[in-house]
Amino acid sequence: MIQLENISKRYPGGHDALKAVTFNVKPEEMVFVTGHSGAGKSTLFKLITLIERPTRGILQVNNKNCNKLSNWRIPYFRRDIGIIFQDHKLLLDRTVFDNVALPLVVSGLNHREIQRRVRASLDKVGLLNKEKLYPLTLSGGEQQRVGIARAVVNKPPLILADEPTGNLDEKLSDEIMDLFYDFHVHGVTVMIATHDLRQLKRLQKRVIQLAEGQLVYDSENDDEYNAQ
Amino acid sequence: MKNYFLRHFQTLFFSLGQLWSTPVATLMTIAVLGITLALPAGLFVVLENAQQASGAIKDSAQISVFLKKSVSESSAKRITKKLAQNKNIERTRYISAREALAEFKKYSGFGDAIKAMKKNPLPAVIIVTPKQSAADPETLEALLKTIRNNNQVELAQLDLEWVKRLSAFLVLAKRGVWLLAVLLGLGVILTIGNTIRLAVTNRRSEIEITKLVGGTNAFIRRPFLYSGLIQGLLGAFGAWLLVQGGLLVIAEPMSQLTSLYASQLEISGLDGPQTGLLLLIGASLGWLGSRLAVGRHLREINPT
Repeated sequence: MIQLENISKRYPGGHDALKAVTFNVKPEEMVFVTGHSGAGKSTLFKLITLIERPTRGILQVNNKNCNKLSNWRIPYFRRDIGIIFQDHKLLLDRTVFDNVALPLVVSGLNHREIQRRVRASLDKVGLLNKEKLYPLTLSGGEQQRVGIARAVVNKPPLILADEPTGNLDEKLSDEIMDLFYDFHVHGVTVMIATHDLRQLKRLQKRVIQLAEGQLVYDSENDDEYNAQ
Repeated sequence: MKNYFLRHFQTLFFSLGQLWSTPVATLMTIAVLGITLALPAGLFVVLENAQQASGAIKDSAQISVFLKKSVSESSAKRITKKLAQNKNIERTRYISAREALAEFKKYSGFGDAIKAMKKNPLPAVIIVTPKQSAADPETLEALLKTIRNNNQVELAQLDLEWVKRLSAFLVLAKRGVWLLAVLLGLGVILTIGNTIRLAVTNRRSEIEITKLVGGTNAFIRRPFLYSGLIQGLLGAFGAWLLVQGGLLVIAEPMSQLTSLYASQLEISGLDGPQTGLLLLIGASLGWLGSRLAVGRHLREINPT
């Protein structure tokens, strides 16, 4: 689903955010990417969503060669990825319903289909009764769930979440992670950047660790971890 | 296909809503556009009328025959009658020196100065109107010669020279108006561009998010283009109101002025096709300004 081969990213000014990172995420897999801030997690996510382009290396996402993808194709490419941000990135002047509907609206779906899918998605995250509210009237956990509903409303084969539980307490974090786990069980590839070690232990999924732009640990090569 | 139009319709209403939500800013923009467009449109209307007027005057070319001071009133009347029998002349009108003075006093504003004079300085005049069939330059020239041959005539003058000069001037003025129109059209594009730039900046985060969920640039551009189009259209409508309103204001003195030269001249405003053209130009300029601004500023917003 995601293939990185010797991916490097150097920003103007000479800072190396990623140095020759290689790994492979299989379809339907659930992966945690961990590491201190500045280790390269955010850069990795930006490359996979084509917000930025790698300086070197080969990147394939969803069977598409990202190195060769032209700019005008990027929007269509992104429609197959559900992206979740730590700060939700919700539109504060639109209702919960309109926020979740946005990916469908940009794809040009008709109104009835949009309504059906948005309701299904909100139902999945348990916010069906809040569709008419505005994001600021919701709690932090609820806002994050709106973000998740928006990410999955398109039924994308791949979900990327950048620190989705960063600002939440343990109970809410568990709920959010369980949602992702549920998508994974239903066949969606899920990649989550987090430094919440408690969640890594709790869910026992593959862990990739970055440090100073390099891949320093991949549980796939750790027989001890996999034996547990 | 139905969906496509439906989406455009929705975007149109979304843009209208956005403009409606900031009424003061929107009205100011529209007012600026209206004034900018009204200037060339108004000048165009004035020129159009002037051209029509000069055409009408050309058709009613007159010859002023100034008689010598020594000619008595009775012989002047005889000359007038004789001229009226010429096959190239439609009619003649005799204006005695006294009548000429009265008319001059009325219209020139030099009434008091003339009162101070002991003697009437004006000669008697015969106004000769040639027949339509004789309106070509050669016939008129020949007619003029015949009249001048009379030794009681001091001066015979064809009142056409200034008409020629006026129409030459009008051609020049029209060029000038076009030039002005191009410059002000550029002004409209820049005004809209600036408004749209602000709108793009205000909605930066919305644009970013839309891009992240797979919105194409065309999708993101659309509401801004509609916004530019609507503002351009409303600006053009404002210009139309200004021009027609302005004409109402100057109609009265203008008709007085034209009545001095030719009788049945009516001021015409912008007609149907011209109004349509004005609205079309306004909308196009609004769209274009918006397109240029959005294209430029969209590229500055990451992600691509």
